[in-house]
Amino acid sequence: MGISGAKRAICLFAVLGLAACSNATGWSDDGFGSGSAAGAGAGAGTGAGALAPNSPAYFQQTIGDRVLFAVDQHDLGPEARTILAAQAGWLNANPEYTLTIEGHADEQGTREYNLGLGARRANAAQEFLVSNGVAASRIKTVSFGKERPLEICSAEACYAKNRRAVTVIAGGFTS
Amino acid sequence: MQTGTKISVAAHGLLMSWVFFGAWFPSEPLPSQVQEVSLISAAEFARLSQEVAAPDLSPEPATLAVPDTASLPEVATPPSDELDVATPDPVTPVAPDPVVDERPDPLPDVQPEALTEITPPAPVEVPDLPTPIRPAERPDAGPQVDRVAPVPVAPPPPDVAPAEVAQPEIAPEEGSETPQEIQEATAPEAASDRIVTEENQSDSPVASAAPTQSVRPIARPRRPTPAPEPEPTVAEAPADPAPETAPEPEPQPDAPADRADAVGDALAEALAGGADVEAPEPSGPPLTSGERDALRVAVSGCWNVGSLSSEALRTTVIVGVSLSQDGKPDQGSIRMLSSTGGSAAAAQQAFQTARRAIIRCGARGFDLPPEKYAQWRDIEMTFNPERMRNR
Amino acid sequence: MKQFLAAVLVGAAALLPAPVALAQDGPLRIEITDGVIEPLPFAVPDFVAETGAAADLSMQIARVVAADLSGTGLFREIPASAHISRVTSFDAPVQYADWKAINAQALVTGGVSVNGNRLTVRFNGYDVFGENTLGEGLQFSGNTDGWRRMAHKVSDAIYSRVTGESGYFDSRVVFVSESGPKNERRKRLAVMDYDGANVQYLTNSSAIVLAPRFSPNGDQVLYTSYESGFPQVHVLDITRLQRRILSPNDGIMSFAPRFAPDGRTVVFSQSQGGNTDIYRMDITSGQLVRLTSAPSIETAPSYSPDGSQIVFESDRSGSQQLYVMPANGGEARRISFGNGRYGTPVWSPRGDLVAFTKQNKGRFHIGVMRTDGSEERLLTSSFLDEGPTWSPNGRVIMFTRETQGANGRATLYSVDISGRNLRPVRTPDGASDPAWSPLQN
Repeated sequence: MGISGAKRAICLFAVLGLAACSNATGWSDDGFGSGSAAGAGAGAGTGAGALAPNSPAYFQQTIGDRVLFAVDQHDLGPEARTILAAQAGWLNANPEYTLTIEGHADEQGTREYNLGLGARRANAAQEFLVSNGVAASRIKTVSFGKERPLEICSAEACYAKNRRAVTVIAGGFTS
Repeated sequence: MQTGTKISVAAHGLLMSWVFFGAWFPSEPLPSQVQEVSLISAAEFARLSQEVAAPDLSPEPATLAVPDTASLPEVATPPSDELDVATPDPVTPVAPDPVVDERPDPLPDVQPEALTEITPPAPVEVPDLPTPIRPAERPDAGPQVDRVAPVPVAPPPPDVAPAEVAQPEIAPEEGSETPQEIQEATAPEAASDRIVTEENQSDSPVASAAPTQSVRPIARPRRPTPAPEPEPTVAEAPADPAPETAPEPEPQPDAPADRADAVGDALAEALAGGADVEAPEPSGPPLTSGERDALRVAVSGCWNVGSLSSEALRTTVIVGVSLSQDGKPDQGSIRMLSSTGGSAAAAQQAFQTARRAIIRCGARGFDLPPEKYAQWRDIEMTFNPERMRNR
Repeated sequence: MKQFLAAVLVGAAALLPAPVALAQDGPLRIEITDGVIEPLPFAVPDFVAETGAAADLSMQIARVVAADLSGTGLFREIPASAHISRVTSFDAPVQYADWKAINAQALVTGGVSVNGNRLTVRFNGYDVFGENTLGEGLQFSGNTDGWRRMAHKVSDAIYSRVTGESGYFDSRVVFVSESGPKNERRKRLAVMDYDGANVQYLTNSSAIVLAPRFSPNGDQVLYTSYESGFPQVHVLDITRLQRRILSPNDGIMSFAPRFAPDGRTVVFSQSQGGNTDIYRMDITSGQLVRLTSAPSIETAPSYSPDGSQIVFESDRSGSQQLYVMPANGGEARRISFGNGRYGTPVWSPRGDLVAFTKQNKGRFHIGVMRTDGSEERLLTSSFLDEGPTWSPNGRVIMFTRETQGANGRATLYSVDISGRNLRPVRTPDGASDPAWSPLQN
């Protein structure tokens, strides 16, 4: 977060161009859930061949760093479980990393409630990882409620991608 | 027999017959205007009992009671439809991004000192908020106007000055011998009969069997024993949150056509000698109900409760006033006789509002029969805002 | 039917004396039950400049007073072009006939003098048709910088004399100023006069900030900031702009703070292990007391004005609903039962109502209900309305309205509790999460 905040600050205040802060820069993903090549919960990365298998970029793009939820729900579906199981495998193989799970909600809710809902989603992902062998001490959770949507349209197509829990790799080696 | 006894017997008779004939109809005691029984003529009774008979057209109250706003059509209103904020000066943004711990310009150091003490306003008590009223019978919400009046009024033509009653323009007649007063054309101001909010503006008429308007009977049916309207003694508003059935707009005379009508009725009645009340003294017969209605409507038109606090809106005041022979109120005579329902401060607000109504609408003299001056020289007006809270 | 008959008979019995009484001599009695509801027409001619330097301010102050009164929706200004009389001396007698002729029912006159930095404003209110003053004339003096506040004080005095309730014009609103697109929104705390003037920023936009709330005396603001990466409750002294974190527990999210009426206690939500509950904290000792312990989301607490109860939202029933519990915790009683979901309850300063956000069938509403949940009334309807806050006199509600779509933007709106007079509040950028201050001293 600290690093991402600094990068973001540079982006916003030095570059002054919003375009430069767009998803294309690739590092806006690490705290604010902005887009990535991985897409919504899909593990099939593009261009992943170039990535070192122990890099956070690999985790993000090849393993898949996010899982999605139904409206006002925090239950993990079969697809989410598959992704989280793969995340647990990677995390167990790369024990030097710590991680933060961000819970998010779509905009169809009041601000406070959505913070609570995001916390539930982050917690659901955390519990799954812990039950799959990842040490609880490595994991922090945070909720952004509806403050950081990934997609900005006001339609279910966007909402579906915004109801998410994103596993953000921090600490250890950086790629 | 004493006059009072006669009247009493008559009233009892009327009551009994109403119970027998009228009470069969499933009429809810509507929270309608309090109608005094005393001077109601036979014709009036007939008219009122007609209303009692009407409700078999009404829908089941239960269907009205569902406050299901969700089922209402939703209309997104573009913000451009709404008023712009009334800030006279554009806001100047302060220098961007002050560092948090740095102290920016201190807030303006204002310590207004009042030479005279500002009297703290009376503590506001828990006001009774009106139940959401969603009258089923709503022919047309009409254009959004910021005036709410008993009878909806369509917007006046553009070049007409607003006035309490419509009056045609009178141009000086050419060649006319007697000088004629030039009178500007006026029309009543546009008004809606309810508060239009964003939430309910798209309310469409709820499917209902209720008539879209209550029509006055063309010919007064002759009924052997007309029944009085059930008296809604200012109903102890039940704490029941269910919206009540919308009060049927009473077919009270609509100014001015109906008023003339009412006066005409009254005159006809008087000529026919049909008055069922003996004159207590030789100073002229009591006012007919039509004449009383006309006075009530005249004062109502100026009784603006729009700026009253919610507490004052729960305060009924009785105001005494003396009129001169031309029907104009003597300002010095206007006084509060009593009040119920609110604090002294609220009563004062309510009284001032009532006082303004009497002065403003009486400025040209109330339309009252001069031959009955003794009957209306002194008037006690009860201003009861009960119904206005529900608008 | 029996009850009905009984009611009729009782009603009739109560009426019977009336015919007798009226047959006797005495004043004519009539009852008025139908009036009109319309804005009260008033006039505010330019205040009289009593020193040369006061020329501009004498006009500007009158304009602010007129805007304050008109902005309530309870008053309608009669423009200067319609005036017959000109007020050239504050002390000269008022020509009532001239104001009656244009149907001005209230009249405000004033005199302004400026000596150096010192501004003095005198004013009088008149009940034109009663040919009376509305209370005694008043005078305010202070620094010229504070002229808007003095104008608001004039408005407050006139408002309270006409309506019988206290005003709300000399008050401020703290809010979140927003810029940038939805997915990169930059948020910073700001404070302004209630009418959108004098905006001042209180934080920079390096971290997300949410939902500021004034202390009971208006000198402190609670808010939630992501400065540490996690939402944490901060308290900010708005005159010295000093702040500190109230909930220093790193890794535990805290949000939705609000002061108790005593100004020393705050309530907020903490989330741990996915569960969100309400806690109370003594602001000086930092002592923390847990008030709810359900596995559901309990948040958005708001005290009753007497400090004895807390209204909050919870989804313990399966959907977001409103509950009231004693201020020390304990059994909560559900108060919302209509269709849809209810959140962000706020107790009114009068104590009689709770304002809330309601979601139903894909739309958001701001509404009010009595504190027992009865007499629910929805005041607004839009794609996204939320976060109501009460004016100091409990007559007006300000809230956030966000428009939909990729270019969606948040704006502040205000509405009278009758549902009338919905209007946007002008802010320099997007704005959300308003919180109204008490009336200033």
